[in-house]
Amino acid sequence: MVTYPSGGSAAPETPTPGFLARTIFNSGHKVIGLRYLWLALGSVLLGMFLSLLMRIHLVWPTAQIPFLSGFGGTPERYAAVTMLHGSLMVFLVLTTAPQAGFGNYFLPLEIGAREMAFPALNLFSFWATVASLAGMTAAFFVPPDAGLTLWTTSVALFCLAALLTALNFTVTTLDLRAKGMTLPRMPLTVWAWFINAILSILIFSILLAACVFLLSDRLLASQFFSPLTFLSQQPASLAQATLLSLWQRLFWFFAQAEVYVAMLPCFGIVSHLLSTFSRKPVWAERAAALALCAVGLCGFFVWGQHMFSSGLNPWSPLVFSLLASSLGLPACVLLLSWFGTLWNARIQLNTAMFFALGFVSLFLAGGVSGLSLARNDLAAVAVSDDFVTGHFHLVMGVAATFAILGALFFWFPKMFARRLNEALGKLHFWLTFAGVYCVFMPMHWLGLIAHARAARSGLAAVSVLGPSFGTPFDASPYTSLRTLVTAATILTIAAQALFVFNFVWTMWRGEKIKDPNPWRATTLEWTVSSPPAIDNFGATEPMVYRGAYEFSAQGGPEDFAAQNVAPAPPEPPLETRQAAKAGRGEN
Amino acid sequence: MPGTTIVEDIELIIEDIGGGGGKLPPAGGDDGGDSDKRRGPQRPSSRRYATAIVIAIVSIVMFFMAMASAYIYLRAANSNRWVPLHLPWIIWVNTALLLLSSGAMEFARRRLARADVAQFRKLWAVATTLGVLFLTGQLLAWRQFVLAGFYVSSNQASSFFYIFTGLHGLHLFGGICALLYVSFRKFEKAKVSRAVAAEVASYYWHFMDGLWIFLLALLYLGK
Repeated sequence: MVTYPSGGSAAPETPTPGFLARTIFNSGHKVIGLRYLWLALGSVLLGMFLSLLMRIHLVWPTAQIPFLSGFGGTPERYAAVTMLHGSLMVFLVLTTAPQAGFGNYFLPLEIGAREMAFPALNLFSFWATVASLAGMTAAFFVPPDAGLTLWTTSVALFCLAALLTALNFTVTTLDLRAKGMTLPRMPLTVWAWFINAILSILIFSILLAACVFLLSDRLLASQFFSPLTFLSQQPASLAQATLLSLWQRLFWFFAQAEVYVAMLPCFGIVSHLLSTFSRKPVWAERAAALALCAVGLCGFFVWGQHMFSSGLNPWSPLVFSLLASSLGLPACVLLLSWFGTLWNARIQLNTAMFFALGFVSLFLAGGVSGLSLARNDLAAVAVSDDFVTGHFHLVMGVAATFAILGALFFWFPKMFARRLNEALGKLHFWLTFAGVYCVFMPMHWLGLIAHARAARSGLAAVSVLGPSFGTPFDASPYTSLRTLVTAATILTIAAQALFVFNFVWTMWRGEKIKDPNPWRATTLEWTVSSPPAIDNFGATEPMVYRGAYEFSAQGGPEDFAAQNVAPAPPEPPLETRQAAKAGRGEN
Repeated sequence: MPGTTIVEDIELIIEDIGGGGGKLPPAGGDDGGDSDKRRGPQRPSSRRYATAIVIAIVSIVMFFMAMASAYIYLRAANSNRWVPLHLPWIIWVNTALLLLSSGAMEFARRRLARADVAQFRKLWAVATTLGVLFLTGQLLAWRQFVLAGFYVSSNQASSFFYIFTGLHGLHLFGGICALLYVSFRKFEKAKVSRAVAAEVASYYWHFMDGLWIFLLALLYLGK
């Protein structure tokens, strides 16, 4: 792992740590946050490569790919590629980058703390995550039976790491805030990280339990997911469908909420970016914070929407359908808050803002198809083929990636005291933005076509694996659409080279930023040097006097007021506070 | 953000609860001195340990709730072919030991509150020993179960018996480590006071106690 001297030359009383203390055992929150970002960057590149393999195989199933022809062209290998792609993207990119990556780096800075609550625990979490990444990747290369055991163990380890990270985030936010950083004054990023940590605490325990069951079944021959379980109860036609019902319940209880674990920090980041670059306060900030809480809460009630076809009680699809649709409400509140922020604003269209706007667009586009998946009657048409793939890649995968990229462009000057090239960044944005729409929008259509065909030929429940597995689809609109998706995938992935080049070049030669606050932003991380000192705030003790989004200020040289700027008349009125305290003491 | 009076009121309250206002730490200490101590975030305030253990407990509750719901679900789905579970008698002895251990711990903490460290150490050692005895007893219960011919793979009920007792034992082992830490740590040099460490350990220990009762009730009622 690459380490960056995040400290600079501050903290004179600290003795210079040894080599191991600086590298492997460095528990500084900024160092760990950066390492998580590196981990996510590596994983996203590998994951994109795998998606390229899958798309090529779907369109040209006989194509021989160099290096990989030895892996065999069996459906099992294809499933293994899909599994590795999904594991890397969901766990190591979408879960890790916005929360553990940016969160570890900026949560203490934004709340005015010098370190996470439990640095050693944080270090352990990081290395456990690295080990789980290694395990998931290695599982691909070993025989399927051992591979599944290894994969499950790695996921369990990842759960443990995520739980400890979430514990750290929760305690840090609750107990380490600077003086004056009240809950309403917390930036929405902090709100999102905090709610996300609570959500993670609750759901990763569930996945951990499911993994323990599965490992126990595989290694100790216990009977939790015993295939005989349901056969005695169900009619034979239903037995097949309900075979894995318990695993499905445990898994989807986790996995549907996991979508919000990936998205919540992105919501926070996007609100933050839109406000900063609109030079306006977040519109309806409290409603937005409450909507974040509501998203976290609703995430618990929707697991059944993945199980409409698994032989549930006939009433429960209706209930789950209503609950899943109700998620649209907090999503609408967030969207309204974003549009309200943008309304009549003097928008600064830099790359970070472009990515934030791209997020809003993708979230909206993907969310609309989500509504049809949430309805049990419509979902019958859509589930288990390309429609659902298109939906969740658009709304979760790509939208979250846009938020991560926006955050990277936004915080890059703080982390590295350099600025990513704007022209390259904008070109990368437009190519990626057009590319992902060309990849994932046609997928919705593909799903509907495939379903219509299956229904016509009387195979209502057949899932479509594609031409490579002998499904007799040869008509041209289907095939040409698939080819279009693959071509768009190749171009979109090629466009990422622009980003990688921009990143590497900027690290090496990029434009240096002396100003600690190049974006004229309000939160505490912009009040310290770039990169921040090891103890973040040096000798000064951060004090917070105002909310996180005080833009459009009147009558000063600047149009914003940083959170640590004391208002002109000395505040807070001490008497009022003491009176309030005394008043409560009497009750 | 311009606030109304009610909102300002809430902010004052929230500030008092959370943001550096300085709530009393669980161990006590006066407000003014405490808020001064909290100024340097590098010096860990004792509150973070109490917060952390509460959140960890929430997480462990979810973990066992997932398992308990799986148990209830499978028990209901397989009601006509469920093999009844005969709990080994030593389980009840173990349960009594664990309850006594919790009691001893509370007495120990009362002694500590009266600054009677010597008595505290004795009672704390009793609590720890009872905990170790519980764990040994659980291993004996496994032995009895095996002798009766029930293995992990025998049926679903025995699978659940082993996974519940095993995972609870694993968590309890962590608790014993915490109790030993409180016994042997030289608190003059530590970041936390003995009272705080004992309090945090006791939260976890009592939780382990309650969790065991819950799991036992589940196994007993579901047999």
